[in-house]
Amino acid sequence: MLNFIIRKILMLIPMLIAISFLIFLGVDLMPGDAVDFMIPPDALSSVDPVKLEALREELGLNDPFFVRYVKWLGNIVQGDFGYSLQSGVPVAELVASKLPATLELSIAALIISTLFGSLLGVVSALKKGTLVDNALTVFGMIGVAIPQFLFGLIMIMVFVFKFQWFPVGGRMTPGSEFFFMRLDYLVLPALTLGLSLTAGVMRYSRSSMLDSLNKDYIKTARSKGLPEWRVNLVHGLRVAMTPVAVLIGFRLPMLIGGAVVIEQVFQWPGVGQMFVMAVRSQNTPVVMMVAFFSVLIVLVSSILVDVVTALLDPRVKLS
Amino acid sequence: MKKLVLLALVLIVSVSLFAGGATEAAAPAAAAEWKAMGTPLADVRIRQALRYAIDMETIVDTIFEGKAQLAVSMTSPGSWLADGLNDYAYNPEMAKKLLKEAQWPSDYTLDVVYYYGDQQTVDLMSIVQQYWAAVGVKAQFRKLEGDLAAQLWVPPADRVNGPSVVKWDLAYAAVAALAEHEFYNRFDSSASNNSSLPKKPALDALIAKTNATADVEKQKVAFKAVQKEMSENMYNMPLYHQLSFIYTSDKIDLKGGKLGNDQFSYDKNLLNWTTTRPDGMMYTNGGPEEFYQMHAVNPGLFLYQEILFDRLVNADENLTPTDGLLAKNYTVSADGMEMVFELRSGVTWHDGKPFTAEDVRFTIEYSLQIPGLNAVAVTTYSSIKGAKDFLDKKTDHISGIAISGNTVKITFDKLDPNALLTFSQWPVLPSHLLAGSNPVTCQQNAFWQKPVGTGPFKVGQTVLGNYGILERNNAYFLKGTGNISKIFMHANGENDPNLQKNAEGGKIDYAWSKSVQDAKGMAGIKGMTVNPVNIRYTRLFYINQYPHPANIK
Repeated sequence: MLNFIIRKILMLIPMLIAISFLIFLGVDLMPGDAVDFMIPPDALSSVDPVKLEALREELGLNDPFFVRYVKWLGNIVQGDFGYSLQSGVPVAELVASKLPATLELSIAALIISTLFGSLLGVVSALKKGTLVDNALTVFGMIGVAIPQFLFGLIMIMVFVFKFQWFPVGGRMTPGSEFFFMRLDYLVLPALTLGLSLTAGVMRYSRSSMLDSLNKDYIKTARSKGLPEWRVNLVHGLRVAMTPVAVLIGFRLPMLIGGAVVIEQVFQWPGVGQMFVMAVRSQNTPVVMMVAFFSVLIVLVSSILVDVVTALLDPRVKLS
Repeated sequence: MKKLVLLALVLIVSVSLFAGGATEAAAPAAAAEWKAMGTPLADVRIRQALRYAIDMETIVDTIFEGKAQLAVSMTSPGSWLADGLNDYAYNPEMAKKLLKEAQWPSDYTLDVVYYYGDQQTVDLMSIVQQYWAAVGVKAQFRKLEGDLAAQLWVPPADRVNGPSVVKWDLAYAAVAALAEHEFYNRFDSSASNNSSLPKKPALDALIAKTNATADVEKQKVAFKAVQKEMSENMYNMPLYHQLSFIYTSDKIDLKGGKLGNDQFSYDKNLLNWTTTRPDGMMYTNGGPEEFYQMHAVNPGLFLYQEILFDRLVNADENLTPTDGLLAKNYTVSADGMEMVFELRSGVTWHDGKPFTAEDVRFTIEYSLQIPGLNAVAVTTYSSIKGAKDFLDKKTDHISGIAISGNTVKITFDKLDPNALLTFSQWPVLPSHLLAGSNPVTCQQNAFWQKPVGTGPFKVGQTVLGNYGILERNNAYFLKGTGNISKIFMHANGENDPNLQKNAEGGKIDYAWSKSVQDAKGMAGIKGMTVNPVNIRYTRLFYINQYPHPANIK
């Protein structure tokens, strides 16, 4: 297994270089540059173009594409992620300031979706064809179909405007910097994101559990006289969770970059919002760092999924 | 409902298009005067016809739901607007007649550009296209992306004969003006951003008169003459004036403070405002997302820009300079060529350092080198004697700024009618924190992560991208009778997508926007009042009258 992991990690390097090049190229191909975003269009007509050129020069935007890319890559190797073109703040510092918010939201949502999804999926499989199964299937359909922003707005209307149980948005207010003091800010966005992901996990674990329950080793376990709960939960669930673990593993990176909508609806100051703003303003160093790490997480998750699959399913061997 | 009305409008216009088709088919085909000039848009009749063909009144009532004002000039209604200007009210028959007279080439397709991505603009462009089609004018609309300055505002080398450098027939744009001069100076033949109007000596002379006096009444007379000339010749096509909307909650009392143009800076009487919130907090939006925005382009777009810093001179809600602020008093010479500011003593920056006359000199010299500095400020600062030598690095300081103790004397090389306005809008910056830094990358300076001013509020706890808190500056030289001790700013930038949500949740006491949709939504929120305010903000079509071949063949 160790050899497998080392080999996979070594393969990451050329993949990261190739992907980073493509992202850099993509940002470069967008019309305009960061300076165009700094001056509102209505004010552009009266701005001295010579001074704008000086700003471009100062920010290094006039260098040829390959020079800029090689400089960026060289800096990355030395651990320097550059500076935000908009604020001059080191990108690493900028991302570090947003990452806790995103991780907080993502992990909470992942826990919610994993627990609820797996549990309801197993119940649905065990109660196949009953009212409970049908009700959960409908719930799953709705969960998959309803857009996150709409779900978020409904949650706000009900729990903020109607019952006034939670704040309207944001992550904290002065004096509530500690995690447990600002849990009320986390509840709604985490529930919205978590529940919207629950449906998928539930459908996945249901079908996986059903598949597992039809296998020969389950029949063998039953014929040996094991109690039903033991057959289902120990023998059935363990193998059934393998594809679910794969799904959850691949959701890790999605939770980092994919919480953009939820962050917007709940004014959650995370990486997603920052990334959207950076793309709009062609803030290349910020775009590159967030994209780079998203890619890295995808690739690392893929290795993790392989390892977890091998651990969960005795039939899988890493080679 | 709005969509239905819009659909009905499109249908009506489409029907009239079919009705009008036969008439246009009979029009003479070619050999028109415009051919000699290189573009049909050089013919005033065609420009007027395009305006007569648009029913702006209906557009304002439908697309803008009545929350905009029809424009007959760049100037908004009020004392600066000339009486009796042609309003070019919707008259498709007149449009057809003028087009026929001018022998509009029916095979010509107008190339119209715009750069806004909002739905209202798209709706407006669609309906204008239909209106023009109804009188037999084909037009294609396209959204510009990327380097807008290069695509929109580059003038030709030859300001008389062209040819045009920009590649469009009409450009839909907006002018947000601090001073009337911003509306019209751009049509002068020497203007660096005049890409569409060839030299018109009569217009140049009239524009020059508006710049030749600092006397407001004389300026008004001069501007009215410019408006008349522009309107008669339809050198550009003003469409509507945008309103701004200020939202106030029933938790705050402005204590007689006037509401004005929140795109810029004016005395809001904030120190006297009161709130019924027990913690003395006032909630607003526009908090910093990645940094506090410097003042170069917009000196008062965000509330914090107004109250963290002070100006030499106060302005009222109409942006008219009123009395001294950092300047205890000031004098302007009769010819407007000299200003003397006597500064308040004992004023300190938020970090406790003393405010001095050197800060005033530093601010002017530093700001003059910032890219993107608003044209009004650029004109004022570069009109100071010795400004050019300073920029050319021939001198260490601008020679026209003389300091003596607490007094700053500014001598101008040429008259700038808006100099006092500039000193009422652009604040004084702390030399002890910014001196030695590169003004070209001013916004990237760490200073703007937690700026230090002399204003009535100072930066408190800030979680960029989440919220910013401003705290009342108890050392401020003016006290006030209000009880607002802190201001909570949601970090939502200029176009706040969460404004209505936060207001509904009781977390907005004061905010503003230019969005008709916001105004409509906020009007339905209990405890919120929507206050429409006239501002100098005009949407228009620039008309490219320089010779240029048809873009769309």
